[in-house]
Amino acid sequence: MNRLYDMEPRVMDDEMLKLAVGEQGPREEAGQLAKQEGILFKDVLSLQLDFQNILRIDNLWQFESLQKLQLDNNIIEKIEGLENLTHLVWLDLSFNNIEAIEGLDTLVNLEDLSLFNNRISKIDSLDALVKLQVLSLGNNHIGNLMNVIYLRRFKALRTLSLSGNPVAEDEDYKMFICAYLPDLVYLDFRRLDDHMKELAEMKHQYSIDELKHRENLVQARLEDEQARREELEEHKAAFVEQLNGTFLFDSMYTEDVEGSKLSHLPGVGELLEFTYKDKFVIICLNIFEYGLKQQEKRKAELDNFMECVQEAIQENQEQGKLKIAKFEEKHLLSLNAIREESELSNIEAKIVQYSEDITELFNVLMTLEMQLMEQLEETINMFERNIIDLVGLFVENVQSLYPFLEDPLGRHSCLARPWLNSGCTMAQCRDLENHHHEKLLEIAINILEKIVKGEMDEDLPDDVRSLFVDKDTIVNAVGASHDIHLLKIDNREDELVTRVNSWCTHLLDKIHKDEIMRNRKRVKEINQYIDHVQSELDSLECGDLLD
Amino acid sequence: MVQAVLKATSSLDSQRHARMEVLKEKVEEEEAAEREEAAERAERGEKTKRPMEVRRGETTMTQEMLRDLERKLSEIEVSVPEKILTFTKDTIDTSKLPLSYQSNTLKEEHLLQVADNFSRQYSHLCPDRVPLFLHPLNECEVPKFVSTTIRPTLMPYPELYNWDTCAQFISDFLSMVPLPDPLKPPLYLYSSTTVLKYQKGNCFDFSTLLCSMLIGAGYDAYCVNGYGSRDLCYMDLTREVCPLTMKPKETVKEEEKAPPKKYAIKPPRDLTSRFEQEQEMKRQEAIKAEEENRRKQEEARLLEQENAKTDPLHGLRVHSWVLVLSGKREVPESFFIDPFTARSYSTQDDHFLGIESLWNHKNYWVNMQDCWNCCKELVFDLGDPVRWEYLLLGTDKPFLSLTEEEDEGMNDDDDVENLGKEDEDKSFDMPPSWVEQIEISPEAFETRCPNGKKVIQYKRAKLEKWAPYLNNNGLVCRLTTYEDLELHSYKSMQPEMDRVMEFYETARVDGLIKREETPKTMTEYYHGRPDFLSYRHVNFGPRMKKLALNSAESNPRPMVKITERFFRNPAKPADEDVAERVFLIAEERIQLRYHCRSDHITANKREFLRRMEVDSKGNKIIMTPDMCISFEVEPMEHTKKLLYQYEAMMKLKNEEKLSRHQAWESELEVLEILKLREEEEEAHTLTISIYDTKRNEKSKEYREAMERVLHEEHLRQVEAQLDYLAPFLAQLPPGEKLTRWQAVRLKEECLNDFKQRLIDKANLIQARFEKETQELQKKQQWYQENQVTLTPEDEDLYLSYCSQAMFRIRILEQRLSRHKELAPLKYLALEEKLYKDPRLVELLKVFV
Repeated sequence: MNRLYDMEPRVMDDEMLKLAVGEQGPREEAGQLAKQEGILFKDVLSLQLDFQNILRIDNLWQFESLQKLQLDNNIIEKIEGLENLTHLVWLDLSFNNIEAIEGLDTLVNLEDLSLFNNRISKIDSLDALVKLQVLSLGNNHIGNLMNVIYLRRFKALRTLSLSGNPVAEDEDYKMFICAYLPDLVYLDFRRLDDHMKELAEMKHQYSIDELKHRENLVQARLEDEQARREELEEHKAAFVEQLNGTFLFDSMYTEDVEGSKLSHLPGVGELLEFTYKDKFVIICLNIFEYGLKQQEKRKAELDNFMECVQEAIQENQEQGKLKIAKFEEKHLLSLNAIREESELSNIEAKIVQYSEDITELFNVLMTLEMQLMEQLEETINMFERNIIDLVGLFVENVQSLYPFLEDPLGRHSCLARPWLNSGCTMAQCRDLENHHHEKLLEIAINILEKIVKGEMDEDLPDDVRSLFVDKDTIVNAVGASHDIHLLKIDNREDELVTRVNSWCTHLLDKIHKDEIMRNRKRVKEINQYIDHVQSELDSLECGDLLD
Repeated sequence: MVQAVLKATSSLDSQRHARMEVLKEKVEEEEAAEREEAAERAERGEKTKRPMEVRRGETTMTQEMLRDLERKLSEIEVSVPEKILTFTKDTIDTSKLPLSYQSNTLKEEHLLQVADNFSRQYSHLCPDRVPLFLHPLNECEVPKFVSTTIRPTLMPYPELYNWDTCAQFISDFLSMVPLPDPLKPPLYLYSSTTVLKYQKGNCFDFSTLLCSMLIGAGYDAYCVNGYGSRDLCYMDLTREVCPLTMKPKETVKEEEKAPPKKYAIKPPRDLTSRFEQEQEMKRQEAIKAEEENRRKQEEARLLEQENAKTDPLHGLRVHSWVLVLSGKREVPESFFIDPFTARSYSTQDDHFLGIESLWNHKNYWVNMQDCWNCCKELVFDLGDPVRWEYLLLGTDKPFLSLTEEEDEGMNDDDDVENLGKEDEDKSFDMPPSWVEQIEISPEAFETRCPNGKKVIQYKRAKLEKWAPYLNNNGLVCRLTTYEDLELHSYKSMQPEMDRVMEFYETARVDGLIKREETPKTMTEYYHGRPDFLSYRHVNFGPRMKKLALNSAESNPRPMVKITERFFRNPAKPADEDVAERVFLIAEERIQLRYHCRSDHITANKREFLRRMEVDSKGNKIIMTPDMCISFEVEPMEHTKKLLYQYEAMMKLKNEEKLSRHQAWESELEVLEILKLREEEEEAHTLTISIYDTKRNEKSKEYREAMERVLHEEHLRQVEAQLDYLAPFLAQLPPGEKLTRWQAVRLKEECLNDFKQRLIDKANLIQARFEKETQELQKKQQWYQENQVTLTPEDEDLYLSYCSQAMFRIRILEQRLSRHKELAPLKYLALEEKLYKDPRLVELLKVFV
């Protein structure tokens, strides 16, 4: 590895790269063309930079589409500067002085990685290389056989070489790898036969089973988490997340110091636990279910709209294509006719005729597009009205500004919404809270009276007892608790309303923007096509004039 | 006089007379006209026999008569159509026919009398109508009543159980002979057995046979004597569309339109002026009308061309067909069957112009309804005596109750007198058929058509039928359809002609579905190829050199243009996926059209030209921007590069070569397939069911072998029973018992005789052997003497003689030695046999 130290380390500069690209580019006729035109770095697919005495990888950011890179037999010490080469499939860094695997996190397409003859002592940092098939790590300093287990995550890995490492000295080396990497086909450039694999599997069965079990557990947990996340996402999309439980109720009491103190009063605990909480949770649940239903409705509406729009666009495109196909048929004929015509006056007449055809095609296509645009605009406006109505209804029902009122479209009856009978609005939450507050206050005053009268035989905690100094204090405490509760409810409501409204606005914005983009693109496309046809005609004219 | 006649007949007749009288009275005013007509007819010396006509004082004139008159008049102008093949009794050997054919029974005689009586009354009462077809002569010149000629028979073939197959069989089985006089019913009506034997007949023979079979199969069928169109009478189908070419009407499935969706776009606003629209519509209508007019004219012209000129004998041509009435065998509606063509017609059909009479095996009815509007208004209620005059009482048809008073009155007059007679008459029913059992042998049934072959000309189609196994290639039916009315020849097996071949794409590696060829092009359709090729169209130019033998192999035609289309390759983006590429080989031009992206309406195009190879300075030009004209929907940078274009062009050039090669290979394949087909067509062997003992050669051979074995076995048994003693016993006086001495002597003699025979045989063989040897020696000697002067032919002759002689000698030698071996054994065997002979055993036992 010191063989090249006598030479001056070289820098990967433009000159070097240009030279390499030029040398490795196309040959013969194509080569002449390439030279004539020059080759852009971003078009290069393969680059070979071996035996260049390179110390540091640099200046490669332009090679965006590079698929194969050879940097072997240099004196590179660190893998770097490869972040932009995301299309890389084949990377050769053998015979260098690399000490750690790093800087490969963006190379998701890499299939073949060679780090042969380096100074690597640990296999890691390869997580991004999901397509890895061939890994060459021979002649390195890897000393821990357990490190191989890391490679289990590469499902496509078929070839591995680790010879020349300290691990290869281990007598169990081959068996171990066979057992832990059952999909491997070649190890150290030798095929692993089935018999060997069986033996290895038997030998390491227990540890592998355990490993598998652990892996499965992890996998299951991951999947579980994923599912939960997805569910939450779904709820969030319906804007009723975490209303399907005690979350809101619990959050009301987490910051409520007085409330928790008061709950120790006799009778309050039962009231809280059995009457208030249950009712509150039921209402939350109802709101949650109603939210999901509404979300489904909105989704159906949106899908319906999208489908219709797509259909309309498709149909319009078909018409346009038909028109163009017809034109092209004619176009070929007329071009040929013009080419073959010898009489100058006839040529001119034909050219004029042809230009008229082109103009007509342009007009037809533009009319089609205009028509579509108008139609879509109308449809979009209709959708906008409907979706705003839907959102408005949802918000109103949740806030219960019009409690128990049917939605404006009058499609539902109370029977269809049984949750309304048991309450599903934030207003009901508030009512419940008020009711609870009154009861609590009553209890508190009763207790105060008892304390004042000295009839209080039960033992109260000191901090609670301190509240019952006088009537004002206790009323204030109960009031503060009540205020906090109401605030929480209000906040939740506000959050819901804001989010659903912003969702609606964003959606509509996007639809409008998309439509504008589509329209612009189509107009551009039509213009481009017409320009092309026109230019063909013009070139013909020029040619004729020259003739 | 009328009354007298009536009295002489039955009371039935009186009823009938009464009814006819009513008819008569209605039209009595027209008497005068009728008389004039009669005179006219007399002048013309009309041949039609009307025995009662002259005697009848008053005659009637009806609408029908007028038509009749008209008919008669037109008849005069017409020349008799030329005779086609006829079927006369001269060709029939009547001597072998059974007795019932050659004479009439008493009952039949009686029936004939009744019929004659009926006929007389009929022509007396309806003098204007043609005489009835009642009792034509049969093949033995014996008059037989038509109903008795019908012999209801149920055929043993399940195929003949239904009317359609049955009629089809008769139409195939018999060949049609036109009536000797197209305007009259025939004088002869042969038995169905004779008709079947000779496999030809006129319409009456056809319908009698069909009627027999249909009644046998349980249908309510009747033979009809009436008038048909010319096409019907001559079995002319050239103006009919072949039923096989008629396609079943495709049920057009209304595509179920989904209910308009909530956000379906509204159709664009209609901004055109309604007035202009109307004007435009008017203009269009005018154009349409004009076109319609022209089309109609054209159609009329074509129709005229197709339809021959109208028939001058329309309505006069006598035809016979079969009427099937509803009721039995689940026939929902009455219909006609034309026995010639086996086609069924509704009773309203235009081809059937009138009915004189009809009959089945039980009775005979005369049509009393007016046929002015063909058969369209006829009511087939045979129980209605006003409409249908019956011959015999006591049919199974219900009578209509007579409501008219006068009928009753008239009846009463005769009732007393004719009471007895009426009863007698009522009990009289149709005698059994004189015709022998109708039989069709299985061979005849299978052969179907006379000589196993039948050709039917339809409008723009020709249908040929053959009996199974008649053609060695197994062809049984061929339908040829023509574009127009003229005849054509076709050549399908020539290469480079119009042809379509279809393939099983799954069975082919290249996924070829169909290959269409015309003299100048070849089009191939593919499916499921890894390169997504779906279509290749090759245009050929004329051959460069004229060789004596032009074929794709030795002198392929130059390809001018190859068009290839591809399915969408989902692995590539649409604007890099070629949809169509055209190699204009002659112009050295390649055109590419790419697929269209889903959100675009235009697709990329690229055109490569390879014309200028050398620039003005003489340098070779590799690639210039004008050699590649491209249109890109979303311009990309790398495609503008000359290098890219150059590489693309090089690739295309290679692909062009490949395509050309593939097209050439396709041509070779066509040749190969054609050759193979020809070979296949020449080498047909039909597989015959092993149960088909008549045709299956193998089983036949086997059977014959079995028979031969049996025969040999039989011979051997006969030999075994050969009595050696018989000749010796014969020398002794008969009837006497053998003495022992005689028995011994008998045995001795027999053995001696046998010994002598064996010796004689050996001597004979020996003699022959010696003779052959001598001859050979002589010949050899002769050869040696004349060896020098012999011609090669003589030498050949000599040599062949020698080899043959040697062969004979060798055989004789073998026979001799075998004889020597076997002789003692045979001798011993005989001796033992004689010892055991039952006639000698008693006598010899003691001796031994």
